Amino acid sequence: MVRQPSVLGRFSSRLHDERTASWLGIWLGVSFGVAFLTGLISHFMQQPPDWLRWPSRPVNLYRVTQGLHVIGGLATIPLLLAKMWTVYPKLFQWPPLRSARHAVERGLIFLLVAAALFQMVTGLLNIAYWYAFPFFFTVAHYWTSYILIGALIIHVVNEWAKVQRTVMKRPEDGVDRRAFLFTVAAASGAVMLTTVGETFSPLARLAVLAPRRPGVGPARLPVNTSAVAAGVTTTARKPDWTLTVTGQVERELTFTMAELRALPQHTERLPISCVEGWSASGDWTGVRLRDLLRMAGVAADAQVRVESLQRGGPYRKSWVDPPHWRDPLTLLALDLNGAPLDLDHGSPCRLIAPNRPGVLQTKWLHTVVVA
Amino acid sequence: MKTRIALYAVGGSLILLGLRGIVTESEPRSWVVWFAGAVLLHDFVLVPAVLVIGVLTAWLPVACRTPVRAALIVAGALTLVASPMVLSTGQRPDNPSILPLSYGRSLVILLALVVAVTAIWLLRKRTQK
Repeated sequence: MVRQPSVLGRFSSRLHDERTASWLGIWLGVSFGVAFLTGLISHFMQQPPDWLRWPSRPVNLYRVTQGLHVIGGLATIPLLLAKMWTVYPKLFQWPPLRSARHAVERGLIFLLVAAALFQMVTGLLNIAYWYAFPFFFTVAHYWTSYILIGALIIHVVNEWAKVQRTVMKRPEDGVDRRAFLFTVAAASGAVMLTTVGETFSPLARLAVLAPRRPGVGPARLPVNTSAVAAGVTTTARKPDWTLTVTGQVERELTFTMAELRALPQHTERLPISCVEGWSASGDWTGVRLRDLLRMAGVAADAQVRVESLQRGGPYRKSWVDPPHWRDPLTLLALDLNGAPLDLDHGSPCRLIAPNRPGVLQTKWLHTVVVA
Repeated sequence: MKTRIALYAVGGSLILLGLRGIVTESEPRSWVVWFAGAVLLHDFVLVPAVLVIGVLTAWLPVACRTPVRAALIVAGALTLVASPMVLSTGQRPDNPSILPLSYGRSLVILLALVVAVTAIWLLRKRTQK
């Protein structure tokens, strides 16, 4: 006879059942799927494989996908916790392992639960700029997402029939699951409502829990890396600063600030869309990158690299592919919101392009290299 | 059955791919601590605490239980998500645009709102009777 340990009978809430778990599971499956896809978009925008060319339009594409990733991820936290509370009694099932197959199944559930919690915790801490973990966030968050999605696929295959069975029939047991599910949805909604304004500026005033507020920062725009953090406070202030266009060009060009300002200036409204999920638009004024490259004489399919005065760091330089440098919206900005760039926004000159992660909008430029 | 096996293969490969990435590109030792540590904290600290609170709410009059539990779930979720902002460990002197708000105050106001909504809910329940 199988002996039930006394602990199982003590979970008195009837919400610990298949139907509650199924509905929460369906919602979680959707939100994890969205988080995985938007996460991949962000990853491969920053590290595109050779065959991949990201378009420069729509202007706000990355802003939307990354906003979904972060705000959707925050909204997933109550869902995940509710789902795991629902199935918590299963942790104490007896016997713990019935067979080799059952052991593998439980091992995979451990991977699923651990990966889901890991992504929530590291993601939340990362947007709060709290680097409590010794590993590099993006690498760990990226690779753990494959463990999560792999374990999730197996879990869905295993539970599919059960979910279909319980969701498709109307229960007649009088358990008020609806109130519980509404409450969980309300918790997710409350989290979203108090954070989404960091990327959707009409709701900025509601974003009382968001780590960023559009409109707060130098020239009313938030900053990710300050000049102090980048170590450029001296070099970026030098009066003899010049911008050089070099590499595979017909004419190597060098501009002083006065010469850059004498070129045709354009003003475009473009967002900084940060990987941490916040975004905010500014009115940027400067020279079109394509105008400079045409003056220097470059091939139409040239790869362009912009380089910062920063001494090191992974974002010291970034690649600008043809769709982006040919786009008339892509500027080497000198002004923001009607005033010369603040040092923290990349003065004397920064890149600003549509549909591009903020970390690749390289600041404190001094060289444009054509490859 | 064939699709089932194919999907198991896809899922298994993705897990292995992720594990390989962690081992070769991340720091597997500290990663494991956080990976397994999250489960231990969740299963043996967070959920037991929630269960204790659940048992305590069972002492309330039946009519109050659902609104109070709903309020606790929403308040708990907001507190959890807000906690790294409230602690504001990420603030840095060179960049005031990071964590610019008074998050402790935000959280107190939100929790007060939750209490207010719950109170109205309970009052309406009473008058409807």
